[in-house]
Amino acid sequence: MKLTWMLGGLACVASNAHALLRPAADDKDERKAWTVRATKIYTSTGRTIDKGVVIVNNGKISAVTPGSDEGDASTELRVYAVTAGLIDASARIGVSMDAVEQSREVAPEVRVASAVDLFSPAWERQVECGVTTVLVNPPDRDVIGGLGVVLKTAGDNAIAKRTLKPDAVLRGAMGSDPSQGNHPAFGRPTDFYSRRPTTRMGVEWEWRKAFFDTAQSKQDASKKFPGVERLEEVLAGKLTLSIQAWTTQDIRTAVFLKEEIEREGFGKPRLFIDAAAEAWKEPQLLARSKTPVVLPPFPVGGRTDDGAFMAWNVAQLLQEQGIVVALSAHGNSELDGRLAMQAGYAMRGGLSFDEALAAVTINPARLLGVEDRVGSLEVGKDADLVLWNGEPFEPTARVVGVIVDGVLRVDPRPKQ
Amino acid sequence: MSSFALFLSLLPGVADRPLAIRAEHVLLGDGRTLEPGVVVIEGGKLQHVGAEKDVDVPAGAGRIDHKGWLSAGLIGLHGYSTATGELRDTTRTTLPEARVAWAFDARHPELRDLLAEGVTSFVLTPSPSSLSGGASAFVKCAGGKIVTREAQLSLGFSDQNLSFNRFPTSHGGALAELERLFAKPTGTIEKCAQGELSALFEVETPSDVHRAIDFAKRHKLVGALSGADWTGEVAKDVKASGLSVVASTLRVGEDRRTLRAMVALGAADVPFGFGLDAPFSHPATLRLSAALCIREGLARDKAWRGLTAESARIAGVEKRVGNLAEGLDADLVLWSGDPLELSSSVVAVYVDGERAFAAEER
Amino acid sequence: MSHLISRTFVSTALSLGLLALAPDAHAGNGKIAIKAGRVITMVGPDIVNGVITIEDGRITGVSADAKAAWDAEVLDHPELVAFPGWVEAHSNRGMDRPNENVPVAPFLDVRDSIDPISFYFEDSLRAGVLTINVQQGNACVIGGQGMVVKPFGLTIEQMLVKQGSGLKLVAGARPGRSRATQAQELRKAFLDLRQYLDKLVQDKQDGKDYARREALFQGKDLEKEENKKGRAFEGTANWKVPGLEAIPRGEIDDQKEPLLRLVEGKLPAFMYCDSGSSVQLALDVARANGFLANTVLVLEGDSWKAADAILEAGVPVVLSPNLMYVERDPLTGKETETFVPKVFSEKKIRFALQSLNPSAQSLWFQAAQCVANGLDRTAALEAATRTPADILRLGKRVGSLEQGKDGNVVLLSGDPLSVRSTVQYVVIGGNLVYDRSKDVRMKHLMNGVEPNNTAPGGVMLDASGHPCNDAPTVDEKSKTDKGEKPPEEKPHDDHKDEPKKD
Repeated sequence: MKLTWMLGGLACVASNAHALLRPAADDKDERKAWTVRATKIYTSTGRTIDKGVVIVNNGKISAVTPGSDEGDASTELRVYAVTAGLIDASARIGVSMDAVEQSREVAPEVRVASAVDLFSPAWERQVECGVTTVLVNPPDRDVIGGLGVVLKTAGDNAIAKRTLKPDAVLRGAMGSDPSQGNHPAFGRPTDFYSRRPTTRMGVEWEWRKAFFDTAQSKQDASKKFPGVERLEEVLAGKLTLSIQAWTTQDIRTAVFLKEEIEREGFGKPRLFIDAAAEAWKEPQLLARSKTPVVLPPFPVGGRTDDGAFMAWNVAQLLQEQGIVVALSAHGNSELDGRLAMQAGYAMRGGLSFDEALAAVTINPARLLGVEDRVGSLEVGKDADLVLWNGEPFEPTARVVGVIVDGVLRVDPRPKQ
Repeated sequence: MSSFALFLSLLPGVADRPLAIRAEHVLLGDGRTLEPGVVVIEGGKLQHVGAEKDVDVPAGAGRIDHKGWLSAGLIGLHGYSTATGELRDTTRTTLPEARVAWAFDARHPELRDLLAEGVTSFVLTPSPSSLSGGASAFVKCAGGKIVTREAQLSLGFSDQNLSFNRFPTSHGGALAELERLFAKPTGTIEKCAQGELSALFEVETPSDVHRAIDFAKRHKLVGALSGADWTGEVAKDVKASGLSVVASTLRVGEDRRTLRAMVALGAADVPFGFGLDAPFSHPATLRLSAALCIREGLARDKAWRGLTAESARIAGVEKRVGNLAEGLDADLVLWSGDPLELSSSVVAVYVDGERAFAAEER
Repeated sequence: MSHLISRTFVSTALSLGLLALAPDAHAGNGKIAIKAGRVITMVGPDIVNGVITIEDGRITGVSADAKAAWDAEVLDHPELVAFPGWVEAHSNRGMDRPNENVPVAPFLDVRDSIDPISFYFEDSLRAGVLTINVQQGNACVIGGQGMVVKPFGLTIEQMLVKQGSGLKLVAGARPGRSRATQAQELRKAFLDLRQYLDKLVQDKQDGKDYARREALFQGKDLEKEENKKGRAFEGTANWKVPGLEAIPRGEIDDQKEPLLRLVEGKLPAFMYCDSGSSVQLALDVARANGFLANTVLVLEGDSWKAADAILEAGVPVVLSPNLMYVERDPLTGKETETFVPKVFSEKKIRFALQSLNPSAQSLWFQAAQCVANGLDRTAALEAATRTPADILRLGKRVGSLEQGKDGNVVLLSGDPLSVRSTVQYVVIGGNLVYDRSKDVRMKHLMNGVEPNNTAPGGVMLDASGHPCNDAPTVDEKSKTDKGEKPPEEKPHDDHKDEPKKD
């Protein structure tokens, strides 16, 4: 039995090796019911099933059980391993500069969903990498850029139908990104960008001012400004705040700001830090405030954006402190940079396989508040599956099949 | 041909006197051909159109016997001729009360180029430069008539409508501003919101198309999508929205992807008209676009409608032009052959019953 | 801003720190025995609990029961996996600039520009790449001669494995030039050589001795045996130079002599091709000028599409670091991917891999990608060990763990193709040259440990808020001030039996 299994797996591998199969999206196969048999089922719940079957029905997972490896090859998919669809909490695809409203530094009402380009080839590439759900944010050119949206990477081309969670986070940044393009008003002709902030302290000032104005407007309705409702939701803890902060000082600024808001009684914001490259320097700071973190891609030499240095054991250090860690690939789909490879690098940096798997599935799902729909192989969740021809996240294996919402997008079966 | 020329040279161009033109082939708006057919013009309008035996030619009418084809004049949907530089204003976020008709120059030499290619009227559109560049105008290529000063209202959904240096710089900001304007509409925006003025949605990418469709649906707007080469790739969505399409001018060697998208539009039964893009493209490309699409597989009648009747409907002037039907303006063209064949050329053009152009003798 | 300055300082300090750890350059008694839980020999099945014995820089035995000499140093690591070093068949890193701005320069040699302390070699060592062929870059027509080095040593001589590994030629259009210009310049280089040689012969026949006078002026010793004699034109080029035997070899201009050696079949050629059409050009030029049998193609772009021509020519190839070739259909926008090594594997063309970068995506990563895309594991490993060794004509020296080969061994924490495995020790020529536990830069990168006196703000705290191991406590700091050695340079207790390190 094991031999036929392996042969079946080898056959899949051999035939797929030469040219990647095209997604089945616009082919005849739009059905949403599948039987997937695998040697290893990694559920992301802590449970691994050796030899089992995942059944998909009507776009949802209807069963995840140990099972026989006999079956009807014409209607079934057989692979070595199955995981839940990968989730990138900082995907940075499908958006460009027309997705961030730069006329103001604080634009909480602007919805990035208005500007997402679902026709970009980046989406298909992410599907082929096994990424099925992403958080798309406005580019970080504003202090507060607007509302991010959680999308599936495949499906209908209308944004409403692809949205898993609209207005999922309020996005902003610390550090030098929001100052890009701004310049002081003296010494040259003024233009739109002759304004604050041009420094980190200016960026933080804008943050404080935004929250201060929000608090003021509660007392005085005439002080209301566009987007103030969103900031009120943030203060009430109803809308998650995602702040990009690469360096230690920026992470501190973000966390201290949140702690001050709580301490002064302005509210109880829910925060997670994106691109927290230097989180390894002060993990206890993040631990005491229980701030989850999304890590950027692992840099080869350690040096990364905004002058930050990212040590490769950052994920492990944070896990040990009980901090929820999610990994991200920033839209990279190259062999060495994709999200699955980031999970591999996290293992190299000390994470166990289960921890790395959680960091790209259930952890980002919880961070984004969509864990009822995605993030693990559990009955009732969306049928987002990734099929592998070897151990996931090792470079000796690759994604051979992808199912999104029950539709087979990458077909592991040998081409006829 | 030479006898026809003789006839022409003998005829005085008096508008009052009825004029009967008999042609070997008369191409009607639905694609049918009358062989032969007769068209009677009086007072600048079409009085009768029919097969030769069915039409009573009024006494005293002038007569022209044309050995070739006769059709309605081509309509250039979406063009910038005669007023290019004055159609852009990027300094303001919106300018919905602008009327492009003010920029129309009835004596501009570009009009002759249009007539020479059989284009009898066209839509003068604002250039995509802000969220609303104003109202487009429908004008005749001869006689200086402006049929309407408010044919469509431009609404911008593409990158070209954003700016790097003024609000909005993003689609999110743009949509927020458009929502704000339509929440308390005044002026042309009010007319548009009430369905009295059709909208011209300026788009470039399929994402822009979706955004425009969503907006139109939310505010129950009618109109046409203009500027996206591959609208046909989302033809189903466009069809469901009820909007029409202004097709970009095609060029020879244009990637086949655009041609396939055009055929897809036709197959999905999406109403469309061919855009002109003059003077950036030569007016001859209007017919060329249609011919290329037909070669790719577009139905002939749809292609012809896209040059005439459908364009008139999109511009809201179907009661005036776009077809050889009684009561419509006498805008017609005499061709040496089938106008959808590129080997055919323009012999003469009539606008509002007056001869506006005659090709030189070879 | 100050952050950036201190970080630069850290990097410099780290690099100097690593160098300070480099053992001495001279071998001890040269005997070492390496015991590993698994020995991957690359010539047969893996050996469980194998022993590799090395003496005088060469492997003397590889087996489960090889006996170490009584006076040999023993590296006993049953938890580790032994592997022959990876072999990089072609690289243009490790130099200040990969090309000179002279298009035809066969006389240039990388030995004059290799920088032994370049981070590239350090990182290659860390990744277990122990044999590297350094060649000129691709912005030339004929770039010069390459050299095979080991990534360890403070001077070129210490790094040297093999000189004159081959001449670099470029068939792909270089930046700013058209294909036609490149082709013309490449052909012309050989035409110029031929004309030069013909003129030499003619001048000699006419009794003119310009060449001799020029050689003497340049200080060449024309009495030396190899310079004195003339030799007839050899090789399989489709042109000949009759009468060349009348010219003493010493009178041939040094600038042209390497090209002559190439044409006479005495020098390998590495020809860079950036497309299918440049492959054809490369093969034509090699055939016409008699060096096809010594040619290795270095491929890029869509060169793989000319695989049939390559098969017919019978030459091996070095693949581009970008293993997945992507093409986009302009009509539908769909992307097609081709895994390039698979193309060559199926056609049975010998191919070697290049690393994507010297650190996290080194040769191990490329070999792993081959396995992921359906290649046999052994074939994938060979493409980064034995095949490049053969291509570099060092097949008898490196690429596998066999008796008689160079004493180069990599000890890994796990399977060489796993992302979790790290190189723990490296032995080159029988000397332990790398010990990860002492690698300051790796500790910084992998564990966030900043070395003493380099972290701003004083004491480094680890995750639980305690001072890091390497961070100085008050006592240690005062020790340093007194001029005593910082902790990591304390010698081992069993140091007395260790051979001196290179």
